[in-house]
Amino acid sequence: MQYKSQAVAKPYFIAAIGLFVGQILFGLIMGYQYVVGDFLFPAIPFNVARMVHTNLLIVWTLFAFMGAGYYLIPEEAETELFSPKLAIIMFWIFLVAGALTIVGYLAVPYATLARMTGNDILATMGREFLEQPLPTKVGIVIVALAFLFNISLTVLKGRKTSISLVLLLGLWGLAVFFLFSFYNPSNLVLDKYFWWWTVHLWVEGVWELILGAMLAFVLIKITGVDREVIEKWLYVIIAMTLITGIIGTGHHYFWIGAPEYWQWFGSVFSALEPIPFFMMTVFAFNMVNRRRREHPNKAATLWALGTGVMSFLGAGVWGFMHTLAPVNFYTHGTQITAAHGHMAFFGAYAMVNLTMISYAMPMLRGRSANSRSAQTLEMWSFWLMTVSMVFITLFLTAAGILQIWLQRMGSNPMSFMDTQDQVMLFYWLREIAGLVFFVGLVLYIWSFFYKKGEAHIAA
Amino acid sequence: MPPGDLAIWFFIFAELLAFGIFFVAYAFARAHNVELFNESQQHLNIASGAINTLVLITSSYFVVRAVAAIKQNFSRECARWIAAAIGMGGIFLAIKLFELYAKFSAGISLSTNTFYMFYLSLTIFHFMHVILGMVILTAVMLKARSGGYSAKLHTGVETGASYWHMVDMLWIILFPLVYVIH
Amino acid sequence: MEITHKPHFIRPCTLVWLTLMSLTVTTYAIGEANLGGWAIMLTVLGTAVIKVQMVSSYFMGLRRTRRLWRGIVLGWLLLVAGLITIAYLSTIK
Repeated sequence: MQYKSQAVAKPYFIAAIGLFVGQILFGLIMGYQYVVGDFLFPAIPFNVARMVHTNLLIVWTLFAFMGAGYYLIPEEAETELFSPKLAIIMFWIFLVAGALTIVGYLAVPYATLARMTGNDILATMGREFLEQPLPTKVGIVIVALAFLFNISLTVLKGRKTSISLVLLLGLWGLAVFFLFSFYNPSNLVLDKYFWWWTVHLWVEGVWELILGAMLAFVLIKITGVDREVIEKWLYVIIAMTLITGIIGTGHHYFWIGAPEYWQWFGSVFSALEPIPFFMMTVFAFNMVNRRRREHPNKAATLWALGTGVMSFLGAGVWGFMHTLAPVNFYTHGTQITAAHGHMAFFGAYAMVNLTMISYAMPMLRGRSANSRSAQTLEMWSFWLMTVSMVFITLFLTAAGILQIWLQRMGSNPMSFMDTQDQVMLFYWLREIAGLVFFVGLVLYIWSFFYKKGEAHIAA
Repeated sequence: MPPGDLAIWFFIFAELLAFGIFFVAYAFARAHNVELFNESQQHLNIASGAINTLVLITSSYFVVRAVAAIKQNFSRECARWIAAAIGMGGIFLAIKLFELYAKFSAGISLSTNTFYMFYLSLTIFHFMHVILGMVILTAVMLKARSGGYSAKLHTGVETGASYWHMVDMLWIILFPLVYVIH
Repeated sequence: MEITHKPHFIRPCTLVWLTLMSLTVTTYAIGEANLGGWAIMLTVLGTAVIKVQMVSSYFMGLRRTRRLWRGIVLGWLLLVAGLITIAYLSTIK
């Protein structure tokens, strides 16, 4: 750690991991409800568990992005953070707001929560991923703006690098596109149309810039490769990301009532979306192969390479599988989507966050890397989580293919629920893989507390 | 190694792929709807498409001269050739705008029919690439003018040149495909 | 300042430029004459293929690089032109 104020990143990272644990627990509950429908009913119905699972994912990712921003920006700008105090205040506001929201989801019925939180003043609730009550949404905006204010001023008074510019662009985009969550037209087509401006333009647009910047930062640190080389790659990757990702929004407009040309735009441009992810993989491996120093944190290197590969597989390959309009006609909203969602989100965003935390957390605790044995443990956690996620994806893909076959093709299609009975075996297997994933996550956390062996002292 | 930065070549290949898919999609969409395409094509302004081809080819040639100039260490001459190429790019955009303006004022939009959907998307998508190419060339020109390149070190000039030739190449296919062949 | 000779590629590129211009005029003439049919289609598309190949070999200078780079562009060109041809010929009965 080179700058004192980078320390504010620590609570953000800890909270992120804590919420990640919560996300996985609710994922396991839901996975079990898939096979034993009345598990925990009526205390935690499936729809609530699902909402908590996805909302926690978003919130922990935001925590980790902010932590990454607070850690990376001072080091890139070569100056202390503009206001560490503001960062800590915002941390507590965000954490309390997030916790209250989750408590609200679990404690009262959703409709009651909507009434209690002023949804009749400005109706924004009830839409997938954007279920947060109005006060939470406003809170997210305030926290995001304070965060952006803080890091933007830090960059302005210090060195301006490509990495911080790309990160700022991504984070500002994140805040701007979130504003569409307040726009809720009563026309269902328009509602869906602009809903994607938050959802799609986040995960297949500006978040990829954040991902690219975080990965580039860690790669510079662990490989010692020249900044110019890494920045050049970063620019080409983000240019490709924006070109393909923005118009690629069209792959969500195939069947919602938007004009027909979106079937062409969406198919062509989103078919190209794997390219920036592929380039990111080539980039990560290329930089590690050309490394000019041996950084003691081998685990972080492994996570960085894993991010490249898994984001390409999950977002690139699994996304491409069902992105062409004629294919999507059959696969739309089946378990194929769930398979893609799991591997893409884990491979791109969860893994880049884990990479960043794996690199930064030892630094924040005054050492350049954890001890060898702790790193061995962490690498175990890497393989357990990654491999089990591959299996979750494969099982869901198999379930999806069978589902499409039984429910949407042939002369005698089955009903939705009858189909679900037929794919039950895959849901069982998925739940087992989920348990292995959870073990991996526990190991990841444990590796940070593992005392055996000498830690590498920061130079 | 191809001329220019390797990174721009990844970009160029990705662009070729994108346009390639669009060209092929056009051809197959036409195969399903030959009459509509043939009929709609009659309303295009072939002359403006052809003049624009001549304009882009010439600007590409100017860029070749710019690369030749910098290889002889003539920075100012290099900058002048690039300026000429950018000027041709401007002419291309102007002609294209007139053409598109005529179509839009005739009430044609992306939803008019499949042919016009392709005609408008392809030409506008290409239009944006011309703008991007001009931005890249402007950056190269400014650096060349301030003596930032030499006979030994001029990867930047070749990078900009390669991208601009690609923009030209795509139009060379787009013009006959959309305006002429039926 | 070191003295350098005029690069040897200017002359061929000038010839290529003039050829490209005249081929464009030919394509334009065919378009204005409103000619159609598979022979015309193959001629016009073939002209475009030759033109693209000229730009990539001479203007881009790929003929002086490794086969790989030329191969990628040429492969792309032949694939796209081939598929377009198939699509067009499939409509002729």
